[in-house]
Amino acid sequence: MKLFTLLMGVGAFAVLLTGCGKEPSRWDQAATQTVSAAAAPKVEGAKLNAFFPADGTDGMSRVFSQEKDGFVEAKLKKDGQDVATLSISDASADEGVKSKFASASDKVGDHPLVTVGKNQSAVLVANKYQVKVSSQTLDPDARKALLSKFDLAGLSKP
Amino acid sequence: MSDSDKPLHTLVEELPESSMTTRLLGLLDYAVPGEWQNITNFEAMVKNVTGEDDQSLIQSVGERAIQLYNDPSNGYQRAVWIYQMLDDTQGIFGMAALGNKLSGDFDFLSFLGDITPKADTAQAVDAGVKLVGELTAFCLVNGMPGDSIGDFAAAFGNAQKEDAMRLAAFLAFDCVLPLGPDFLLKLSDGISSLSDSVLGSNGRFARIASLLPTPDLESSKALITQNFDATKGVLDKFASEKGIEQSSVFGKIKGILGAADDKLDYVAAGIDLVSNHFEHTGIQSVARRVISRAYGEI
Repeated sequence: MKLFTLLMGVGAFAVLLTGCGKEPSRWDQAATQTVSAAAAPKVEGAKLNAFFPADGTDGMSRVFSQEKDGFVEAKLKKDGQDVATLSISDASADEGVKSKFASASDKVGDHPLVTVGKNQSAVLVANKYQVKVSSQTLDPDARKALLSKFDLAGLSKP
Repeated sequence: MSDSDKPLHTLVEELPESSMTTRLLGLLDYAVPGEWQNITNFEAMVKNVTGEDDQSLIQSVGERAIQLYNDPSNGYQRAVWIYQMLDDTQGIFGMAALGNKLSGDFDFLSFLGDITPKADTAQAVDAGVKLVGELTAFCLVNGMPGDSIGDFAAAFGNAQKEDAMRLAAFLAFDCVLPLGPDFLLKLSDGISSLSDSVLGSNGRFARIASLLPTPDLESSKALITQNFDATKGVLDKFASEKGIEQSSVFGKIKGILGAADDKLDYVAAGIDLVSNHFEHTGIQSVARRVISRAYGEI
């Protein structure tokens, strides 16, 4: 019993010590890392713009929102409200990203289609580009329909 | 003061839940209703951006966002540094009178007695520098989205969430309140009358100048002028559509700070010293964009 009390005391002291410093968090490990594929050559963002669905698709306006090397994002908006976020990213050097398509049971054209979480659908084009539609309002069928509005054939050409 | 190289989740989670800045931003909710929530928890920000609730997915998105931010070549850290510099009051007259900038309950009225308002020209220069900082940070975070100036203007003018609140705060506190309804004209006059001595002695400008792609003050002035010309239409439209007017803004401030008379220039100078609206919403904007990118990339 004495040993137990002693151990409890040591434990409490350790908790106290931790409290004096910064509390550990679930994000600490990532804080010491950068994206491992970052060193790999990435396609220039501007070269991906042409493959997005056209402005006015399904009566929605398309506003480009981010353009970085290897990543381009646009919003589809209706009456000023976001309907969906569209993106194309260069996943050529990211096997972890591409591996999720191995078990895909659906396709858009020839391209494997998966859902991610509850709000995202993604296709992999030419084993290189990941094309995604994310939306907190559209269902998987509607997201799949939007994916088919990208110029996936054009994107798959080398 | 800059700590922009801290991990992204730390920057978000060190933001105050309540401060003079959050109170001032809160009173602009009338202009951009519902756009800004004061999210100061990283997991909550990931959930807000993605709408996902699967913890392993949230972890993956959050970790990739933190890793993207960690790489200085992505530009996100420099953007946060700029936002911090735009609120930095180091070397600005009146700062000595300020006890605790983050304290939510200090006496604003007595504080105003200790400060000196800026002349219109200095205020216009200050606002011009902040606009350049905002545009520079925007490009560092988002790149130059689209294929044309029109696409860029659409991206900038489509400000939502924290971006919308920061634009509202800039227009309300840095433009309309000190300069009045013809703030665009005064900004334009102020910018065109800039001399090297005025620009060189602006503490904020001296600090962010190192990040501008210009070799000297003359070309920096040209850049400010170009930026202003390219965005004044967006600024004018935003202010008029959102009802950001001197009387409405001052009315709200009177309610929260208790300023009794109409010394608008004093109030504007005081807000400049006590509010971190660029840094606070800037960190939230950068986090939102990086998380959105991470969600698109994983």
